[in-house]
Amino acid sequence: MNRPNYRWILFPLALAAGFAGQAQEIGFTAAVDRNSIATGEYVKLSINLTNSQERSETPSFGGLVVVQGPFDNSSFNYVNGRMSSSVGRTWVLTATTPGKYTIGAAKVRVGGGIIQTEPIVIEVTKGSSRPSDPGAAQGQSRDPNLFASISLSKSKAYVGEQVVATYLLYSRYANIELSKYDLPKMDGFWAEEIDLGDTNWEDELKTVNGLQYRVAVLKRQVLFPQRSGKLRIAPVELSCVVNRSFFNRGSAISTRSNAVEVTVMALPPNAPADFNGAVGEMEMVVKADRTEVKANEAIELTITYAGRGNLKLLEAPKLNFPSDLEAYDPKVTDKINVNASGMNGSRSFQYLVIPRHEGDFPLEPFIFSYFDTRSGGYKTIQAEPMTFRISQGDGGPVSAIQRPSRSDVEVLGKDIRYIRTGDLHLRTAGKHLFGSLLWSAGMAAPALAFVVFLGWRRERERALSDVVGSRRKQADRVARRRLIEAEHALRSSDRSAFYDALGRALHGYLADKFGLGPAQMTDAIVRERFAVHTDGEQVARDYLTLTAACDMARFAPVEDRPKQQIYDEAVALIGRIEQLVRA
Amino acid sequence: MKPIIIAAALVLSPLIHVFGLSRPEADTLTARGSSAYATGDYVTALDLFDSVRTAFSSPALLFNIGNCHFKLNDIAHAILFYERALRLAPGDEDVKANLELVRQNVVDRVNELPSFNLGSTWGRLRGGRDADQWARRSLGACLLFFVLLAAGVLAKQRTLRRTLAGAAGLFMVGTLISVAFASFRHGEVTDDSAAIILAPKVDVRSEPRESTTVLFVLHKGTKVTVLQVKNGWSEVQLANGSVGWAPPTTLERI
Repeated sequence: MNRPNYRWILFPLALAAGFAGQAQEIGFTAAVDRNSIATGEYVKLSINLTNSQERSETPSFGGLVVVQGPFDNSSFNYVNGRMSSSVGRTWVLTATTPGKYTIGAAKVRVGGGIIQTEPIVIEVTKGSSRPSDPGAAQGQSRDPNLFASISLSKSKAYVGEQVVATYLLYSRYANIELSKYDLPKMDGFWAEEIDLGDTNWEDELKTVNGLQYRVAVLKRQVLFPQRSGKLRIAPVELSCVVNRSFFNRGSAISTRSNAVEVTVMALPPNAPADFNGAVGEMEMVVKADRTEVKANEAIELTITYAGRGNLKLLEAPKLNFPSDLEAYDPKVTDKINVNASGMNGSRSFQYLVIPRHEGDFPLEPFIFSYFDTRSGGYKTIQAEPMTFRISQGDGGPVSAIQRPSRSDVEVLGKDIRYIRTGDLHLRTAGKHLFGSLLWSAGMAAPALAFVVFLGWRRERERALSDVVGSRRKQADRVARRRLIEAEHALRSSDRSAFYDALGRALHGYLADKFGLGPAQMTDAIVRERFAVHTDGEQVARDYLTLTAACDMARFAPVEDRPKQQIYDEAVALIGRIEQLVRA
Repeated sequence: MKPIIIAAALVLSPLIHVFGLSRPEADTLTARGSSAYATGDYVTALDLFDSVRTAFSSPALLFNIGNCHFKLNDIAHAILFYERALRLAPGDEDVKANLELVRQNVVDRVNELPSFNLGSTWGRLRGGRDADQWARRSLGACLLFFVLLAAGVLAKQRTLRRTLAGAAGLFMVGTLISVAFASFRHGEVTDDSAAIILAPKVDVRSEPRESTTVLFVLHKGTKVTVLQVKNGWSEVQLANGSVGWAPPTTLERI
C-alpha cells in the first residue's frame, strides 16, 4: 500500500509540542461519516488525536476495503497563550459484499497508558449499482491492487462476426513496470491486432467495486470466431515489478486475468450459393473505367467491398467472363482500419480485362452475398448489369499483317500476294460444261456416229457380197449412163455410135436386171424371163423389136424411123421394164 | 435511225443491268478495279470487282475480291473469297499463300485436316484443273476414241488394225478418267456445305434457338461444314467433329 512515511512529517510537530510542554487534555476519537452504506458506496473513517504527538495504531477495518487513504492532517492552534494541537488520519472505506462490518478500536499510547476508541459497526446493504466490468470485478477479487481483465464488445456473436477484445491492466500502485505478459492463444478465432501505439495509462480513473484504479489498455484485438459453440479465451498472464525506486528494489507481482467465453452462433443454413463467408455490414461497388474500347485495349474493372466486417478475409470474386475477355489476376487494394470499433473500410479488387475480339459482351451481373449481422440474415447485393462494347482494333486498311496473340507466327513484314491483273478469264457464273446438254451431246455424238458408221459398213459389206443384187440395183444407172452416151452421139450425128450405145444400154440393162450373162441373152430366155411378170410378153416383144431395130441400124444403113424416135422408145421401154420388175 | 438506237439503248440499259453484263463490259470493270487496287483505293476496287461477280466468275476474280477484303481488314470475307477461289482452282499457289497468311488471323485453331493433298501426283492430277477442263478433255478423248475405233475397223492391214485398236483403248481409259475427274470436281465446285463464320463471335448452341446451352464459341473466319438448316439456324460441324447450331446470318456458304 502506498503509505507516505509520516514519521518525518510529524517530527517538527513533536518538537513544537515539546517546547510547549504543557499538560493539556488529550483526546482520541474515531468517527465515520455514516454507518450504513450500500455496496460500492464509501464511508469515511477519521481518527483524531488531540494534544498528543503519539502515534496511533491503525485499527482493523473488519473486512472493509480501503479505497483511499490514509490521509494525515494536523492542526496547531495558539490562542491566548494556550497552545492546542490535533493530529488526524482519514480513510475512505468501502465494502464489496453486503453484511455487518466492525471497525475495530484504534489505540494510542499516551504517557504510559493506552487510550482506545470505541469499535464502529457499519451496515452494508446490497447496492443497486453494479460494477461496470464483471471481468474487472472478477480480477479484483484476486488482488485488489493490481489485476488484468479481458473484456469483450459482445458475448454472443455469429461465426465470422467481429468481436473486439480489450486487455486492460488495473493498478493502484504509483509505480509499476510491466516485465512481461503473455497473450492467450486464440483457439477458434482469427485475430487481428489493433495498433494502439504506446501503452499509457488512461487519464480517467476507473472505479471498480468502489476502488479507483488507473487503467492501461495492454492490447486490443478484433476476433473473428471461426466455429460455433462456446469459445473460451484463456486468461492473460502478466508479471510486473511495483514500487521500484532509487532506494527500493520493488517487489515482483504476477497475476492473471479472468477467462472469458464467447457464445458463437452458427450462420443460418439457407446461405446463398455465392456466399463465401463475408459477415458484417457491407456494400459492393462495381466500376469499370470505360466500357467501350477497341479490341486488345485494356479495361480496368474494380470491384470494391466496403463496410464493417471481416474484410480481410474476403477473397477475390470469381469472374464469370465470356471466353473472349481475358482477365488477369486482380490487384488487391486495402483501405482497412482496425480500431476499437472493429474492422472497417474497404477492399478493392482491380482486374485488368483485355477483350480480344470485337462484339458486345454483356457481363453477368456481379452478385455479392454476405451475412448481415444487423438483421441476422443473408443479404445479396446485385450490381448494375454491365456491357462491354468492343470495336474492331485498329480500323481502316492495314498495310501489313496485324498480329494476333499467337506467338508462334512470325509474319512481320509479310503481305498477301498481289491481285491478278489483265484477263481474269471470266466465265458466266453458274454455268458448267460438265453435265450440260452440250457436253452430253458432245459425248453421245461420236458414239452415235460410230454406230451409224458401223451400220453403213455392214450394209456395204452385204451389198458387196451380193453381186446379182448389186447388178440389178445398178442396172438402171448403167443404162442411163449409156443412154446419155447415145444422146451425145445423137447430137453429134454419129449414127454408128448412137445405135451402139443404145443397143448396149438396152442389152446391158436387161442383163443386169435379170442377172444374165452375155451368152444367155437369147430371145427365148428373154421371153421366158419376162413371162413371169404380168404384161411381160408385150414388153418382151417391144424389147426384142427395138433391139432388133438397133442391131439392124447398126450394121445396115437402114432406118425405118428417125433416131430421136428410137431413143425415146428406148427410154420409155426402160421405164416400163423398171415398173414391171418392181411391180 | 441513230436517235432510235440511243433511245433503245437507254430503255434497254437497265434491262442489260438486270440480265447481266456482257463479257467486254465485265472486262472493263475488272480492269478499272485492278487500277483502283493499284492506287490503294480498295473500297472502289472491291465495288467494281463485286459488280461483276453476280454475272461472271473466275478464280482470279474471287482472288482479287479476297485481296480487297483483306486490305480492308475484313478477315472473314477475305477467307470466304479465297476459299471460293480455291474451290474453283484448287492448285492455285497465290490463293493458297494468301489464304494461309490470312488464316493466321483466325482465332479458332481447329485442327483442320487438309481437304486433299496437293503434294501427291494424284492430288495434282485431280485438283489441277477444273471440272470444265476435264469435261473438254473427256469430249476430245471420246471423239478420238471413236475415230480411232472407226479407223481400226476400216484398216485393211492386221498390224495397223491392232495398233489403232490399242490407241483407241488408251483413249477410252482417258475418257473414263476425265469424266470421273470432271464429275468429282463438279461435285466439289457445286458442293456448298462448307461455310465461313462472318460474325465476330458466334455462340454455337445445342439447339436451334436462343438461350440454350452454349456448346462452343466460334469467331470470324473459321471454316465449318453446314449439315442442315432449320428456321434459319445452321447445324455446323467443325473439322474436329464438334456439332452445334449457329444463329442465322452469322455465316456464309463458300
